[in-house]
Amino acid sequence: MTAVVRAVDRFLGPVSLALVVLTVWLGLWVTPPDELQGDLVRLIYLHPALAWVALYLAFGLAAVCSALYLWPRTRAERWDLLAASTVEVGVVFLSLTLATGMLWGRPAWGVWWTWDARLTSTALLEILFIGYLAMRRVPADPHTRARRCAVLALLATLDVPIVHFSVQWWNGLHQGATLGSGLTFHIHGSMLWTLLLSFVAFTCVFAWMVRRRYQIAVRDAARELDELAAALTARRAEGVR
Amino acid sequence: MTTTAPAPVEAPVPPSRPTVRSRGRFLLVCGILVAAVGLLLYKGLLSSLDYFDTVDQALAHRAQIGTGTIRLEGLVDCGTVRATRSGAEFSISGADGRRVHVVNVGSPPELFAAGVPVVVVGQFVSSTSRTFESTQIMVKHSATYVARYPGRVRHGAC
Repeated sequence: MTAVVRAVDRFLGPVSLALVVLTVWLGLWVTPPDELQGDLVRLIYLHPALAWVALYLAFGLAAVCSALYLWPRTRAERWDLLAASTVEVGVVFLSLTLATGMLWGRPAWGVWWTWDARLTSTALLEILFIGYLAMRRVPADPHTRARRCAVLALLATLDVPIVHFSVQWWNGLHQGATLGSGLTFHIHGSMLWTLLLSFVAFTCVFAWMVRRRYQIAVRDAARELDELAAALTARRAEGVR
Repeated sequence: MTTTAPAPVEAPVPPSRPTVRSRGRFLLVCGILVAAVGLLLYKGLLSSLDYFDTVDQALAHRAQIGTGTIRLEGLVDCGTVRATRSGAEFSISGADGRRVHVVNVGSPPELFAAGVPVVVVGQFVSSTSRTFESTQIMVKHSATYVARYPGRVRHGAC
């Protein structure tokens, strides 16, 4: 197991980078333009994958870790640290989703932004998880902080299915799924393969970023404990004199 | 970087009550969150969760809409697009073929073309007319992507 973890740590970064470079090369130079959107379509090799990683991987994992922390039998500091790491990376991915969506929307729809159901619910999700990050900065003992953030993460994750189903439940400007349920794809050939590759590439990037962020979080937590122990020792030494 | 093992200490006891300062910050973060969420929901729900009415829906409750500002969605009919001095005129139709004539002020966006679904923002010129004055056109492209190859018949084109 340790050997597997070491191998992953060593190769995940370079593999992620290679997959992203491959996706960019295919997306910019190899795949054809769309018959209606022309070269604008090339943002499809970024935007859906970024959204998928943020919504389902990052915030889904944060919800699971938060639930594990809140349930007394499985409560452990590592679930809180992992939830915080995935939320931080998830906010980055969701911000990039919104940015690439705006870059695409302006020429394709004719507007940078509009308040349709999907865009509104996605903006709501971004606000909620930025709120999670703000909550982590509020001074409190580790357990109180972890508990507050876990509850907020679970509440915020309720918005994820709303974002997902918004294009089906309500009339909206944002289009439906290109990779539909039951393997009904509305895209084919090299465009399809490059789109699927983008999902793999950004999943690897996500895994690498969360792994690094979690390692930093663990070291930070250990350092806080060391500093507290040193401070207590110094204080006790003052009392002895 | 390695740290020397600290001297054994008792587990730190968390404060029995949160400090006034930390409780204040917690309430501040909660307050900002609630305000931001409330504002977003208000903006999003301002004109109902449905972003637009289709041509069929709008014509079905025409009397209710009157000359109020709405967003109207339909397919731009082939051969109806005409440039005007102030913008463009065209017809859009719903699923069952009923048409609305649109007079738009301002240039249409880049992807606007006959045979493409659009959402127009504006109002009917009178409570019985089927002419719609719009100030904004948004192109509602589908989730289908087809590669452009020379010689291929254009999908959805007129």
